[in-house]
Amino acid sequence: MAQITLSALSKTYPGSRTPSVQGLDLEIEPGEFLCLLGPSGCGKSTTLRMIAGLENPSSGRIVIGDRVVDDVSSGRCIPAEQRGLGLVFQNYALWPHLSVRENVCFAPRVQKLPKAERELRVQQALDTLAIAELADRYPSALSGGQQQRVAIARTLAARPEVLLLDEPLSNLDARLRLEMRAEFQRLHRQTGNTMLFVTHDQFEAMTLATRIVVMNRGQIQQVGTPMEIYNAPANRFVAEFMGNPPINIFERGQNAQADAWLEHIDPHVATLGIRPEDLQLTSEVHRPGSGQLTLDLRVSALLPTGGSWIVELNDGARRYFATTQRCPQVVQGQLVPVLVAPQAVHLFTGSGVRYERMEVAA
Amino acid sequence: MALITPKRERSTRQVRPQTQGLAYRTKVNFRHPATLIGILLILLFGYLIVAPVISLLMGAVQVGFGDEAKAGAGAGELTSYYLARVFSSPVSEIIFYTPLRNTLLISLCSIALALMSGVPVAWLLARTDLPARRWFSSALIVPYMLPAWTFALAWTTIFKNRSSAGQLGWLESLGWEPPNWLAYGPLPIIVIFCLHFTPFVILLVTNAMRNLPSELDEAAKMAGATAAERWRRITLPLLRPALLSAATLMFAKAVGEFGVAYVLGLPAGFQVLSTTLHQSISTQQSGVAAVIAAVMVVLGGISLLIDIRFLREAKRFMTVSGKSLAARVVPLARFKVLAFTLVAALFTISVVLPLGTLVLSTVMRVPGHFALSNFTLDYWVGHNLPTVGFNRGVLVSPETWHAAWNTLWMVGLAAICTGLLGLLVGYVVVRSPLRQLGTALRVITFMPYLVPGLAFAVAYLSLFAVPRGPIPALYGTATILILIMIADEMPFASRAGVSAMMQLGQEAEEAAQSLGARFTRRMRTVIIPMLRGSVASATLLPFVSGVQGLSLVIILATPGTQLMTTLSMTLIDFGYTHAANAVVVLICAIALFGTWATQRLFRSNLADGLGG
Repeated sequence: MAQITLSALSKTYPGSRTPSVQGLDLEIEPGEFLCLLGPSGCGKSTTLRMIAGLENPSSGRIVIGDRVVDDVSSGRCIPAEQRGLGLVFQNYALWPHLSVRENVCFAPRVQKLPKAERELRVQQALDTLAIAELADRYPSALSGGQQQRVAIARTLAARPEVLLLDEPLSNLDARLRLEMRAEFQRLHRQTGNTMLFVTHDQFEAMTLATRIVVMNRGQIQQVGTPMEIYNAPANRFVAEFMGNPPINIFERGQNAQADAWLEHIDPHVATLGIRPEDLQLTSEVHRPGSGQLTLDLRVSALLPTGGSWIVELNDGARRYFATTQRCPQVVQGQLVPVLVAPQAVHLFTGSGVRYERMEVAA
Repeated sequence: MALITPKRERSTRQVRPQTQGLAYRTKVNFRHPATLIGILLILLFGYLIVAPVISLLMGAVQVGFGDEAKAGAGAGELTSYYLARVFSSPVSEIIFYTPLRNTLLISLCSIALALMSGVPVAWLLARTDLPARRWFSSALIVPYMLPAWTFALAWTTIFKNRSSAGQLGWLESLGWEPPNWLAYGPLPIIVIFCLHFTPFVILLVTNAMRNLPSELDEAAKMAGATAAERWRRITLPLLRPALLSAATLMFAKAVGEFGVAYVLGLPAGFQVLSTTLHQSISTQQSGVAAVIAAVMVVLGGISLLIDIRFLREAKRFMTVSGKSLAARVVPLARFKVLAFTLVAALFTISVVLPLGTLVLSTVMRVPGHFALSNFTLDYWVGHNLPTVGFNRGVLVSPETWHAAWNTLWMVGLAAICTGLLGLLVGYVVVRSPLRQLGTALRVITFMPYLVPGLAFAVAYLSLFAVPRGPIPALYGTATILILIMIADEMPFASRAGVSAMMQLGQEAEEAAQSLGARFTRRMRTVIIPMLRGSVASATLLPFVSGVQGLSLVIILATPGTQLMTTLSMTLIDFGYTHAANAVVVLICAIALFGTWATQRLFRSNLADGLGG
């Protein structure tokens, strides 16, 4: 089982002024299911490709297990084909001229394994992904989900200790995604592999990862378990990136009621953020308790999503979203008092960093 | 190349319910403008393509005028006399088997060499950070735009010896007489075909490589495969369709090409099929010529069948889902200088040397004597040159201007007609509700691809030399030249037209239709403007190959309809090397200028026209 260590890893593409990845430090523990999450262009795929050896860092060091695979300062670089990692590509990259079996058998053949061993591996990989009956088909005769399974089987047949997955679900439809997510979780339990997963889909990251690394503009914003990331975002970027509908942001000077509430708080706090599910729509007038935040917002739209409702609200200048599990007893155009528990309010300083309050409820 | 079976990206036809009445169906089908156009096109091509090909093939089994005694049957009756003469008579070895072997030897060797030099260069151009690769990717295509026998002339200019008439070769005048095997025969022909064909390989393979997702290679890398394994198991198999297309195309060209073998083969008595064909035509043995031509058609057909077979296999290569990132560039690092040198060397050998040699040969009095006093512009602009005929410089003699004007307007007109006809064929194939109409058109327009230019010209000669019905005798007119040029380029033009129409999709036209635009208006205001780029490349390709085409026109052009290519051949026959070379330089200039201008004006490129 291999640990992966990235130290001061940077990558600037030739012809580009801004680095794609900047001073990345990260330890990936053996057996962990780590997710690199961020908007497109944040450097997550570049990071993955540098670990894979398909991209060379501009500076920094990558260690896999006890092997230094990249060290720019000493000029050491082990090519991708000798790193023994498995990579599943976003577009699967199945070889169209080879059948499913030949695709899966490629790595065992390259490793020059004896025939019996090769066949065993292929069969196991096909069985693991439940695609044995597709063995003699060609990739063009497969559906997207089947191609995905073949791509994973092909990678598994090489028996890598680390499995790298580059947005493997983004080309699938919603239903298949759900299925494959469960599949990945099962695979992780079954093989015990270290898995490193790149995605821009927070839902995917939340449901799959044991730890999430949120990246933006080539830098790590926060590392933590999914719940840590969601409940205690380290900065405004993470807060706004995680969650759908997005977190509601109130800048100082934007909403009188929010401003009044903020008077009790450290003047360094410039922004507060409230998750949609923490906005409680009430029908009767509440007397605000001490420290309780009440916002009077007008309902501008009701959006049922099946199991829950999204309520679009506004204060005349901006839109906010609330979500509820029960049918909201409001009508469009109604002015509604909205309650927020003080501990549900996220505070950020002027530079966007999370502000930890000591005793807000006092 | 999917010359005959374009992939149908989306079917526009729905299955009609069985209950629909025949009368209704007929009415709907025939009201569609594509149906009417299709029928007109079939009639036109029946006249321009099918009739000549059939008359050509019939010539092989029908007794010709004047052969009644030899064949022992009346003119026009069926006979096996010509077949026997070609395949199993005392002269078979000379007029058929040896030339056949030579043709196969030359085409296979040159195809192999062209693939070996073209594929690595294509990779350098498509996938690496080779310096000046953009420039090279246009510059290395230049040999394709020059007539193949340009190289033959350049070769003789340098290497010729006393076996042929005219001026001294450069090496000879430097005091070393090149041996015959270097001056003439298979070796120089193979080298020249290879230089001429390499651009095909580069064009087609570069395109294929650009469409190959880098992830396929990277996936093999992740599986632990070395660079050699990845080439052998992934890249080359994936390129196989493109390689085969290139090979088929080259094979058809190599079999049909006449000028090179004429210039370099004959002095050494080295015959290929095209030169024996030419010989039997010029000695009035039209029956034998027809048999040889039919063999050439069969050779083309076989190569095509191979292509189609592999193409069917290749279809599954195309439809792999998932989006791909742009191809990643492989850094050459320490091999950069070496790679650059090799590519620059190829450019030098295939462009600079031949063109330079030709240009130099036109400004030097005594060949190979590099002294300032030896240089002159007399052959370009001089008067009273010490030759019997053609005693004025090329630029000041009326013959040149006459031929240049003929070339420009005839080839230009033919190219424009070809481009538009190709578009119409595309329209019928993609839009006609009668699928059979489209299929028939595709097959018919494809036939000239299989028929070598010389043989096609023979057919035109026999069919149109005499008045037939309402059509007057066309021999000696510009019309016959223009018609044959149109017919000969239809395979490429219709292919380009089909793929352009497929890319267009039908929504644009339907939108215009729903707003009340009739067919002609839709064509004029929607389809043709949208396809401007494709039309331009569908016109460019016939223009470029028409300007340099020789075998198609050599027996059809008369002094009144002299083209630049036939003029230069005439000059070669008279041994006026300076003038011949100067005319060839002019041809190159026109071809290059035409390409450049079209690309500039319409932002189209040759690769689109080839449909690579």
